Amino acid sequence: MGGVDVDTGGKKRSTNSEINMVPFIDLLFVTVAFLLITAVWVTNSRINADAQVPGPPDPNKELTPQTPEKVLNLHIGENDFGLVWKQGATVVSEVKVPKTPVELGDGDSKILRYPDLAKKIEEEWKQQGGHRDPSDKKLDQCILHSDNRTQFKEIVAVLDALYRPKREMKLGAETKQVPVFNMTFSVR
Amino acid sequence: MDRYEPKRHHNPHAHVIHAPGARLMHGVKLRYVWNKVSGHGHRSPNASLNLVSFIDFLSVIVIFLLMSFSASGEIAVDKNVKLPKAENVDAIIDAPMVAVNGNQILVDGVQAGSTRSIEELGRLQKIDELFALLKNKRELWKQVQPNKPFPGVCILQVDQNVSALVVKSVFQTAAFAGYPNVSFMVGKIPSTGP
Repeated sequence: MGGVDVDTGGKKRSTNSEINMVPFIDLLFVTVAFLLITAVWVTNSRINADAQVPGPPDPNKELTPQTPEKVLNLHIGENDFGLVWKQGATVVSEVKVPKTPVELGDGDSKILRYPDLAKKIEEEWKQQGGHRDPSDKKLDQCILHSDNRTQFKEIVAVLDALYRPKREMKLGAETKQVPVFNMTFSVR
Repeated sequence: MDRYEPKRHHNPHAHVIHAPGARLMHGVKLRYVWNKVSGHGHRSPNASLNLVSFIDFLSVIVIFLLMSFSASGEIAVDKNVKLPKAENVDAIIDAPMVAVNGNQILVDGVQAGSTRSIEELGRLQKIDELFALLKNKRELWKQVQPNKPFPGVCILQVDQNVSALVVKSVFQTAAFAGYPNVSFMVGKIPSTGP
C-alpha cells in the first residue's frame, strides 16, 4: 500500500503513516466505469455549404453598384475537373485537372480522394483568390457544377479537396485556420 | 523476537512477568508451523502487491477517457445511411437533421419525402413535405427564441450512393424553407498533413 515515510529518528511514535488507498482505487474504478459507459466512439463531423440566399434589402441603405467578385466555378467532368475563375460573366482563367482518384480502403468502406485537385485548387487560390487578409471575414466563393447522376461520395471527395487550402482568420482575440472557400451548388 | 531463543532466566519465579514483545500467534505450539507463519527464515506467506503501477494504469485510463469525453453526446445517424468520409471537416453543431437514404427523406426521424420520386422525375424539384416540416421547425424556433436571430443551419445526413440530383433537391428545398447554411454530415478520417 502507499505510505508516507518521514523518518525523524526519534523514539516517539513512528511517523511512517500508511494512506489507505482502497477508497482512491474505488473512486478511480467508478470514474472509469462512468466514462466508459458515456463514451462516444463514433465521431461525425460536417462539411459546410451555403445556398447563397440574399438577405432582405435594408431600406435605410443606399444601393451602390459593386464590381462582382471573382468566383471559382468547379466543374466535375467525366474524366477531368474544370477550374474556371469568373468575374461576373467574364472568364478570368480556366484550368483543367485530370481526374486521378486515390481510393483508400476496399469494399463498401472505400474512401475516394483527389489530392491532385486539392493541390491545384490551392495554387489557383494563391494566384486568383480575393480574400487573404486575416482581418477579412469573407471567404472566396466556389460554385460546384456536377452532373445529376454524380454520386454523393464523389461530391464529398471534391468538397474535401476544396476545403483543404486554409488561411488565417482573426475571430475576436484569436486567430483560426479556416478553409479559403465557401461552396454552393449550381442549379438551373 | 523469536520465542524459541534459549531462555536467559533460570529463576523459576521469573515466568510470571515477561518482557514486552510480540504476542501474535502465541498459541502455535509447533516450531515448524510457527516459523512458517511468522516468516522467520522463510518467505512470508502474506505477499503484498505493489499498487503503484495499478493506480498509474487507472489514472492513465481516466485521463484518456476524460479527454475524449463529449458532453453533447452521440448524434443519432439513420441506420440506412452510410456516410462518406472526409478529412477537412468542422465540428458538428446542434441543428435539425435531414437524413437522406436510398428510398426516403427523414427530418429528425419523421418521413418527409421519397428519393425515388425525385429520381423518377429526373429534374431538380422542391420537396413539399420536407419544405413544410422544415418551415414548421423554423417557426417553432422563432417562437421559442423571439429575440435571437435565426441561424438557418441544418445538417444533411446523405447516403454516399445517393445521386447529386437528390442532394441538390434537398439542398434547394432547405434553402427555400429558411435554412441557407446547409452542412453535410461526414465521417472523419485522420489528417494526412499538407
